[in-house]
Amino acid sequence: MEQANSVRPDGEPKAGILAHLEGLEAQMSRPCKRSKELQQARAEESALGTKIHELRRLRDKLRAEVNQQRARGKASSANVESGQTVEIGEQEVLERKQESVKAILQAYRFTGLSGKQTSRGVCVCISTAFEGNLLDSYFVDLVIQRPLWIHHHSIPVFIPLEKIAAKYLQTDVQRFLFSLCESLNAYAGRKYQADRLQSDFAAFLIRPLQRNSLCNLLSFTYKVDLMGQSSFCARLLYKDLTATLPTDATVTYQDSLLGTEALSALREEQRASHEALFCTKPLHQVFASFAREEELDLSLAS
Amino acid sequence: MLTGFNITDYSKKTEDLTSTEMTEESIKKVLQRHRLSGSCHVVTFQLEFQILEIQNKENLSSVITDLSIVMEPTEYSELSEFVSRAEERRDLFMFFRGLHFFVEWCEYRKRTFKYFKDKYPDMVHLPKGACSLCMGIRSTSRPGFELVIVWRIQIDEEGKVSPVLDLLTKIPQRALELDKNRVIETAPLSFRTLLGVLGIEAAVECLIRLLHAGNE
Repeated sequence: MEQANSVRPDGEPKAGILAHLEGLEAQMSRPCKRSKELQQARAEESALGTKIHELRRLRDKLRAEVNQQRARGKASSANVESGQTVEIGEQEVLERKQESVKAILQAYRFTGLSGKQTSRGVCVCISTAFEGNLLDSYFVDLVIQRPLWIHHHSIPVFIPLEKIAAKYLQTDVQRFLFSLCESLNAYAGRKYQADRLQSDFAAFLIRPLQRNSLCNLLSFTYKVDLMGQSSFCARLLYKDLTATLPTDATVTYQDSLLGTEALSALREEQRASHEALFCTKPLHQVFASFAREEELDLSLAS
Repeated sequence: MLTGFNITDYSKKTEDLTSTEMTEESIKKVLQRHRLSGSCHVVTFQLEFQILEIQNKENLSSVITDLSIVMEPTEYSELSEFVSRAEERRDLFMFFRGLHFFVEWCEYRKRTFKYFKDKYPDMVHLPKGACSLCMGIRSTSRPGFELVIVWRIQIDEEGKVSPVLDLLTKIPQRALELDKNRVIETAPLSFRTLLGVLGIEAAVECLIRLLHAGNE
């Protein structure tokens, strides 16, 4: 048989059947291709479909999560608020505790000696009182170093601070403070008595009260009988600087008419009793008793 | 603490007593009620006191108008008298000062007695244990002889605390008869003098050595 693809000498497309067959073959392969394409397309389609599914699922999941977060967010912000109320509750308790601690620290003032911490040491506050009357407070600022030293203070110059410090400051701080406390309280007590005498019993003083800054030497002329002429001259010496009562009291009697010589028994008795009184009772109380006697005398006389 | 005191609780109530007349004259009157509890070594205290504050144009006066003190333990009899006096005089600071020094002396007494008891266990005898007021010294070789040191801690009117030591002697009759120089009779006074010269610890040591020497 002649070859199909060679052109016959006479050039007639002899491949009619062949061509036909070829065409049919081609036709055949085309649907195959198509189905392959179709298959591919279908495969792709299904792949995409699954992908879509997946993405949808993911979307829903994320949406759910976002919603959850939102919900949790609201809750947690609410939690933050309630957490804050819990914190506030705790804060109140702490504040109250702090206040009570502060109050206790203030209460130490009532012991007479209290201290506040400073950057370099401690500032000690010494309170004074006499017969229940709360008087001035003084402070001593101590620097805690070796040796211990006093940065500044409000102790009056006539109080023997240096002496007390020399004795105790380096070896026994507590003793130093208590010793200072003693001196200051005694001074405050003496001063209080002198002040009260001047203010409350001026009527009994013929000449104003003479006193030194330490209030341990007092001199005054007084009378017990407001109507009378006779007067007493007293000199009180407080040798013990930690005491509020004099160690020595000297009373002399002066009669303006008779001078100091004529001392009747009665006056001598009075003079001696006054000396004793001044040494055993606070000054203003002695004069208070004079005032009471005077009142009694007046009431008896009338 | 700074002062040896430890305050454990404190509260305060304030009452305004200013009347309308007072306000007109710009006088202010306030009553404070304070409650304080704390301790000083082994002693605990509870205080209730009132402070009346009067403020007028010139000055401010603060006066303690009432003071009540409860102490524990109550074994320290010397302390109860002092506490009553402080209450009477409404002297808060004197109370604390006195308490501080009293407790300090008590602790010193306890330490000193313990020291001697540890050093001479056979000779030293503390009748009431650690908080004894007395310390007895016996000779192990010469029973019947006993020296008793009585150590009291006094607080005076002004709140000053001081130790007072006395010597009591317990001597058999026979020994007394032999004591021609009346050493025993003058012993208490001699002890006082010895205290002044040597101080408490050395004086007590001296006494113990006396009886101890007798053992050798």
